[in-house]
Amino acid sequence: MSADVSDLSLVRRVQRGDKGAFDALVLKYQHKLVKLVMRYVRNPAEAEDIAQEAFIKAYRALPQFRGDSAFYTWLYRIAINSAKNAVVSRDRSPIDYDLDRNNPDESYDMQGRMKDSETPEGLVLTDEIRSTVNAAIEALPEDLRTAIVLRELEGLSYEEIAAAMDCPVGTVRSRIFRAREAIDRRLREVFEGGLGRAEELG
Amino acid sequence: MNEELDSQLSAMFDGELPVAECELLARRLSRDEQLKARWGRYAVIGASIRAERGVRLNADLARRVSSVITKEPNIAVRYVERQAARAASRWFRPVAGLGVAAGVAALSILWMRSQAPGQTAELAQVIPDAPAAAVATSTEPDSYVVPRPSPRLSLVPATQLANYVVAHSEFSSPVARRNLLSAFMTGETGTAGASNGSEEASENVYDDAKNP
Repeated sequence: MSADVSDLSLVRRVQRGDKGAFDALVLKYQHKLVKLVMRYVRNPAEAEDIAQEAFIKAYRALPQFRGDSAFYTWLYRIAINSAKNAVVSRDRSPIDYDLDRNNPDESYDMQGRMKDSETPEGLVLTDEIRSTVNAAIEALPEDLRTAIVLRELEGLSYEEIAAAMDCPVGTVRSRIFRAREAIDRRLREVFEGGLGRAEELG
Repeated sequence: MNEELDSQLSAMFDGELPVAECELLARRLSRDEQLKARWGRYAVIGASIRAERGVRLNADLARRVSSVITKEPNIAVRYVERQAARAASRWFRPVAGLGVAAGVAALSILWMRSQAPGQTAELAQVIPDAPAAAVATSTEPDSYVVPRPSPRLSLVPATQLANYVVAHSEFSSPVARRNLLSAFMTGETGTAGASNGSEEASENVYDDAKNP
């Protein structure tokens, strides 16, 4: 099983006219896409604009999406093209990073090369979110922490995590869910306290 | 909120939920704002753990995209049209293939027909008087003619084959047996005749047949 299955369920709903299902896809991939676009443009706000454009293009092109490739791979290509077009049209040079095109997911060695000099106010809140999540992870029992980190940081499947932790797949699913719930409780406090309508945004 | 539902949502977020459950939950997720918000926070948790630097985790992106898409025409119509076109092309392709094959076959037949009269004419030119000559010379009454033996040597001696047929005669009808035996006898003599290069072989067989 892979993310393709759940994404495809949402994609099929959108193709049948359920626009609400597209929100779920945007919520799931917005951070990944913005980070991807930031390899081409430095400004986070500009990267968000390009990511927004990519999502809208993807929505319009969804009738042609057959599901031969994963939704994110398809979205990734649209975002890359949008970013390149934006860079060309604004006559700017893209950041000359050696991109690994075979790996649409983020490569972590890129993090050190990202510029944080242009920090809009949103990043301050982002730091607060991040520190809240980190604190919540630290407070987790070890088995829950290991499960969520292996999933989110290493990108392992439930089966791989089960093998690594020597426990059934059902236990992994339960541990990851409980870890998320514990972190989410802390996160909701931040959103409700400091970010106003962040509850709706995710 | 229902814990089982949240657990399913978490598994779906990771792409680890069975397809049938995914379908049901996708429907609910698209309508339930609370569930959608939780789904969005799961994405924030992932992004935080991965320390996606420079990415604003509280960005207004989802709302902005949603507001644009709300004004967009529904894509379902285009999707249905596209599916129909795809289905039609799936049906059309084999039919078109058959049509092309039939066309090629028809053209081949026409071409062969157009070639045939010429060949007949050529044959007629090569042996223009043969039938007439045959008719002219055949003054004798019709009689039984033993076919000229083939110069080919049989792979298995006819006597062995005849023995085989006789041994298994209970499985064949008398008429078939007789025909086979006479054919073997003809073949045996014919072969011998051919190997000797004798033109009279057929005469001998005729005699043998008359006086067994």
